Amino acid sequence: MNSINDRSRDIGEFKSMPDDDMLICRCEEITKGEIRKAVHDGMWTLTEIRRYLRTGMGLCQGQTCSKLVKGIVARELGISPAELEPATSRVPMRPIEMKVFANEAEKLKEAN
Amino acid sequence: MNRYDLIIVGAGPSGLSAAIEAAKRGMKVVVFDENEKPGGQLFKQIHKFFGSKEHRAKVRGFVIGQQLLDEADEVGVEVVLNATVIGLYQDKEVVVKIGDEVIHYKGDSIIIATGAAENMVTFPGWTLPGVIGAGAAQTMMNLHGVKPGQRVLMLGSGNVGLVVSFQLMQCGCEVVALVDAAPRVGGYGVHAAKVARTGVPFYLSHTIVKAEGDNKVTGVTIAQVDSSFKFIPGTEKHFEVDTICLAVGLSPMSQLLKMAGCEMEDNPKRGGQVPICDEYGRTSIAGIFVAGDVSGIEEASSAMIEGRMAGVVAAEYLGYVRAEEMEAELSVLDNALDGLRQGMFAPKNRGKEIAKTEEGIDISKNLLLHGFVGDDEIERFPGVTHKVGVHPVMECTQNIPCNPCQDACKKGCISIGANITSLPIVVDNSQCINCGMCVASCSGQAIFLVDEDCGDGTATVTLPYEFLPLPEVGAKGKGLGRNGQIVCDAQVVSVKSAKAFDKTNLLTIRVPKEYAMKARFFKAV
Repeated sequence: MNSINDRSRDIGEFKSMPDDDMLICRCEEITKGEIRKAVHDGMWTLTEIRRYLRTGMGLCQGQTCSKLVKGIVARELGISPAELEPATSRVPMRPIEMKVFANEAEKLKEAN
Repeated sequence: MNRYDLIIVGAGPSGLSAAIEAAKRGMKVVVFDENEKPGGQLFKQIHKFFGSKEHRAKVRGFVIGQQLLDEADEVGVEVVLNATVIGLYQDKEVVVKIGDEVIHYKGDSIIIATGAAENMVTFPGWTLPGVIGAGAAQTMMNLHGVKPGQRVLMLGSGNVGLVVSFQLMQCGCEVVALVDAAPRVGGYGVHAAKVARTGVPFYLSHTIVKAEGDNKVTGVTIAQVDSSFKFIPGTEKHFEVDTICLAVGLSPMSQLLKMAGCEMEDNPKRGGQVPICDEYGRTSIAGIFVAGDVSGIEEASSAMIEGRMAGVVAAEYLGYVRAEEMEAELSVLDNALDGLRQGMFAPKNRGKEIAKTEEGIDISKNLLLHGFVGDDEIERFPGVTHKVGVHPVMECTQNIPCNPCQDACKKGCISIGANITSLPIVVDNSQCINCGMCVASCSGQAIFLVDEDCGDGTATVTLPYEFLPLPEVGAKGKGLGRNGQIVCDAQVVSVKSAKAFDKTNLLTIRVPKEYAMKARFFKAV
């Protein structure tokens, strides 16, 4: 079994660190401590971390913090960042206003 | 649904090159780019490129960008700007946001050439206004004409950090220090040397402890790190700056490929998440190709060749060229790419410490540790010779694929030979006519014309100069050594700005003759 998914593995207690209040995801204002804590809460994949904390779901869509979050989670799990699968990529790749999507619906309505 | 033979995402060097090759072969091609201007990073590159003629060497990046756009236009490529591709589906449906609308396109083939995004590092204060990426600094300066700050500290000594430091100075900023946690300068020695000789100190094995300031950056503290990158107490140094520039690498923007279902891998050698693809950019999905940094971080010259490869391969995929024709074309491109992937900085040598040049000469230690070749080291390189009268002194000390200097000299004074990475040599019994073409043609600004003894106790040194204001003839100042320290008094005796020099001005300074081989920059006082 892949060690990353072996949730029974002991990763030790959460220990607070002096730089835990450092912002990592700027868009959603999530700190290093919150990300580390989330790992100890059982969020062992980047997708889980994202759903749990909203890291990488803000304006820049993870352009800045993805690599940073990956590094923090990997260190907490004691594995190499390359072993962590990146979070799912899905549409829209860039933040987009709902009215833009709504415009498409309007157009379709007109066409019909 | 709008249909195209080929949809390309990204109008940078690789995307445009791919578009040109495909359209030339009769394909109906559209290129989408989310930016308001095409060219990717090319229009931010104001320095002359390395390479050989076929790689458009000694042409400035933004000029190459314009050439590509013109070519694309000629062959009928449609380039759509402010067009953000928000989705790519497995059946090659591309969803694009243009203006206030989402538009669906279908491509019979797709080339993803989305490039890369800058990496960030964290330290206390890294979110303060004034901490910016080197790419952001370039965008501000070279696209929008905005000076990023007054006093800047640069983190990162790779080519991006070095090139952007130089551009910051050209734009009128003061670069107070160039810092890198690595123990050696990462970029080309010639890029480092042209920064160091202006007086910028290099701090290798150092990194940022913290950025200071309440609402914006007002200062920065750096400290030395040991071999496991831990701070060494007591080595802190403080600088008053308003800007901290980060040039700490790039990551491929490969999310669209993952979304489409291409097989991906995490490959640190290529910079992160990249699609698994063959050498011509074929991904695991037939008809989806990649080119440029998105499939592995390199640089613009190789991205252009990769783009051309992907364009040809896409054309063959849809039957616009025969397989034999494609093979012939690819073997030419293979050679061109191979030519770029040579020398000390070739991808295969990444991370290796190279102690000797191909010629067997010890690499300058000072260059790797401090950014400049020491006065006691420079004489061992073949481009540095002594002669009576004006002669070229080529301070080119690392094997990089670049050879415009040998074509620049019409008198045949300079030779690199068939091997493009060889260090330039001064040809015996050749006669330098002091035309200055070699000085202006060297993308690394590493060639000087020196008259070591003018007969009156002085010497003259002609150096490449790309700063404003241009000193006037007669201006008095100081000669700076390779390390950027003042070595002697100097007076400007000539300033040449010819069209053939392509905006590299040639400044000739007169110095006491004992400094002929030491003074390498001029500072007005």
